[in-house]
Amino acid sequence: MKGAIEKLLGSVRPHFYGEGKLKWAWPLHEGLETFLLTSSEKTHQDSHVRDPMDMKRLMIFVVFAILPAMIAGMWNIGHQGFLGEGNTADAASIVQCFLRGAWHMLPIVIVSYTAGGIWELLFCIVRKHEINEGFLVTGLLFPLTLPPTIPLWMVAVGVSFGVVIGKEVFGGTGFNVLNPALTARAFAFFAFPAAMSGTGSVWNVAGKWNPFTAYAEPIQGFTGATPLLAISAAGRGGDPLAALAAEHWTWTDAFLGNIPGSMAESSALAILIGAGMLIVTGIGSWRIMVSCVLGLVVTTGILSQVAGPESMAIMHLPPHYHLVVGGFMFGAVYMATDPVSAAQTQVGRWIYGFGIGAMVGLIRVFNPAYTEAVMMAILFMNVFAPLIDYVVIQRSTRRRVARLAAQGG
Amino acid sequence: MRYRWPIVPDIAMATISLSRGLDLPIAGAASGAPVPLDLPATVGLLPPEFVGFVPRMAVQEGDAVQRGTPLLFHKSNPDLLLLSPVAGRVKEVRRGARRVITEVIIEVGGDGAVSHRQWTPAELSKIPRDEATTGLLRSGFWPHLTTRPLDKIADPARPAQAILVSGTETGPLQPGADVLIPADGKTALQAGLYVLKALIDGPVYVTTPAGSRHPAFQGLEGVSTSEFSGPHPSGDPAVQVNHLCPPTGASGVVWTIRAWDVWLIGRFFLEGSYPGDRVYAAVGLGVKQPRFVSTVQGAPIAHILGAISDGVRIIRGSVLTGESVSSDAYTSYYRRGVHVLPEAVERKVLGWAMPDLGTFSVYAAYVKGLLGSKTPADVRPGVYGGHRAMIPIGQYERVIASPDILPDPLFRSMIAGDIEEATKLGLLELSPEEAALCTYICPSKNEFQILLRESLAAYEKEN
Repeated sequence: MKGAIEKLLGSVRPHFYGEGKLKWAWPLHEGLETFLLTSSEKTHQDSHVRDPMDMKRLMIFVVFAILPAMIAGMWNIGHQGFLGEGNTADAASIVQCFLRGAWHMLPIVIVSYTAGGIWELLFCIVRKHEINEGFLVTGLLFPLTLPPTIPLWMVAVGVSFGVVIGKEVFGGTGFNVLNPALTARAFAFFAFPAAMSGTGSVWNVAGKWNPFTAYAEPIQGFTGATPLLAISAAGRGGDPLAALAAEHWTWTDAFLGNIPGSMAESSALAILIGAGMLIVTGIGSWRIMVSCVLGLVVTTGILSQVAGPESMAIMHLPPHYHLVVGGFMFGAVYMATDPVSAAQTQVGRWIYGFGIGAMVGLIRVFNPAYTEAVMMAILFMNVFAPLIDYVVIQRSTRRRVARLAAQGG
Repeated sequence: MRYRWPIVPDIAMATISLSRGLDLPIAGAASGAPVPLDLPATVGLLPPEFVGFVPRMAVQEGDAVQRGTPLLFHKSNPDLLLLSPVAGRVKEVRRGARRVITEVIIEVGGDGAVSHRQWTPAELSKIPRDEATTGLLRSGFWPHLTTRPLDKIADPARPAQAILVSGTETGPLQPGADVLIPADGKTALQAGLYVLKALIDGPVYVTTPAGSRHPAFQGLEGVSTSEFSGPHPSGDPAVQVNHLCPPTGASGVVWTIRAWDVWLIGRFFLEGSYPGDRVYAAVGLGVKQPRFVSTVQGAPIAHILGAISDGVRIIRGSVLTGESVSSDAYTSYYRRGVHVLPEAVERKVLGWAMPDLGTFSVYAAYVKGLLGSKTPADVRPGVYGGHRAMIPIGQYERVIASPDILPDPLFRSMIAGDIEEATKLGLLELSPEEAALCTYICPSKNEFQILLRESLAAYEKEN
């Protein structure tokens, strides 16, 4: 196997290097070679030994950590679709739900990877860089934040914006200021508002063709609202829990991922499994995840205590519901922890995460019609992360100088 | 009010536990007592090892020398000497670019040693500063005193604020005090410490590994003793300086030296002649039989290694900070370990996704990293990945043991060439061992110790 791969790569190698006709496309050969076989490069000076961990493995582990949320999302898309067509909860088997969800989700993911991948490759060739693995994560996270009914061309346009404007214009992975997946999503949100938000049936695939049941119309009066939209519709003085109960949603449903929403954001449980994988491997910062949760719980906890009878329904929503509805968990675990756009000092990470959680709470409560709280909060704190780091670094520097002065005395 | 322990300097044994760092579990450790070797045919002295020393020949090719005859002196300070470890004849002076002396090779033969005054321990305990200074310069051991910051040989005209004598070695497979200082070495170690103590007004610190019961270190006088525990680089003198006695002020300097070299200094003063014998360690999986050997300073590396495998890299020093040399090179004045690392790097199919049960990694993305394996592993000199931009996931913090260093901002300012900012962030405190560990651990395959060397060179140019 290995010998055959080496032989094959070696036989086409002359075309891509030296005076070969395809020498402009060497990143393609390099990318393929290091995808199939680990690097043969040796150290030439100290340190003579290196850890086998590299960016490929790091990024692929982020992808592995996203898989639980993706799988739960596939099931949920199918499940919500069947419910929206007037079926009872046990009308379709788990496998049917999963396959129907996959039928809707996979084309979106494939289009995102293909369209974004082409841009990535183009920039690598022009810049004469090796292909950067960061796109493995961006190209997956972006589609998972979209509604399952999004037209594929919008996915392609959105991911193109995210890769080019969100990342490559800054110099590629490691230099971007904003999270590229969220940049893409923000672009799609403002460019295609009808397909990305609102109370229409964008969140539910009910009535869309699927290979498992005959073409079925959504039931009359079906709104396809998400829990946050339903609570928002309850208006002033409404009871948020009653609004959820009217749609037969419990906290457990929201925790397990049995509520409509973006493709992979619904299951808090699956996202927590992913969070565990990121934390154990040390790739995702637990400080950011924990402080995001703290920020949201503290903010919404205070707000729900001070809410009066004339307040909006969502102001009364208890913090533990805030954690499991909407895209909060997905954002806190996969988006806020992007090491490049997050704060990069340990103290800074606490402040950054808390800021995201607090801002999600504030936007949700004081602008309940606006469904993009998590995206906006993270992008906002991305912008502030360098400032937070600056302050933390200044403090650390002053402390060092003071310590050195004291020990000298 | 909370009770606080009284601070009693020079008596209290402070233990400093460092949790950050990494003990690389690499196979091929030496064991047993040092094997005495026959005299080699030649020995070599390597002037480029002495950073800041501008060598001038004190003898000519073909001259007969004794053990302790000065071979080289420093251009701007002729009192600063490097001596011949053996009696014999100057066989060859090798020069590199711009005729800089790179190797002085002595053909071993005959005996005879230059003799100096023999001191008693009682006399040494009251040795005056000028005699200690001239004695140490004459002994040829002065260059063992190196500075923090900048890791150069000490300048006799610019006294240190403190001297740190490190009795610890945590570098991978490198020999430490338990092998390099004999159990009855206390008299000589104490004698050497008296000399160091007399050099400066400031304190002399001695560090030992926590829990070590080495008899030579028990009840030392006139010094402040501390224990260090924790993974590498807790035994690195530069890291210990940052914890115990960081240099202060714009021109503050602290000298560091290894305890086994202080023991040799003590022997020089007690015996009245240059001690040329040295213990070295031949380690790594490329050596057929990893071992400690007792031979002379500057012995050929081939002489101490014994049988080695084919296709190996010979490293003078440790795999983290050592220098790759050819098999006809000579051993170091400073570094007592020679690591022989098998070169062959296996390529793996779809390595980025495989569970890879046998591969050692510090990352939990590998099974051995997940389980925290400490089993000595067959580590090879592969880069294992393409070079990428720095992605800060807190990996460098895991191996920086010095206090108050934020590695990501520091490295960023170094990469940007902002030396002023880097200095504020701890450029001068960062130890080469720490930089090497950051290189080891970096998934983006950045080379931080090269960056550190370049940044320090830029710093010296600016100041």
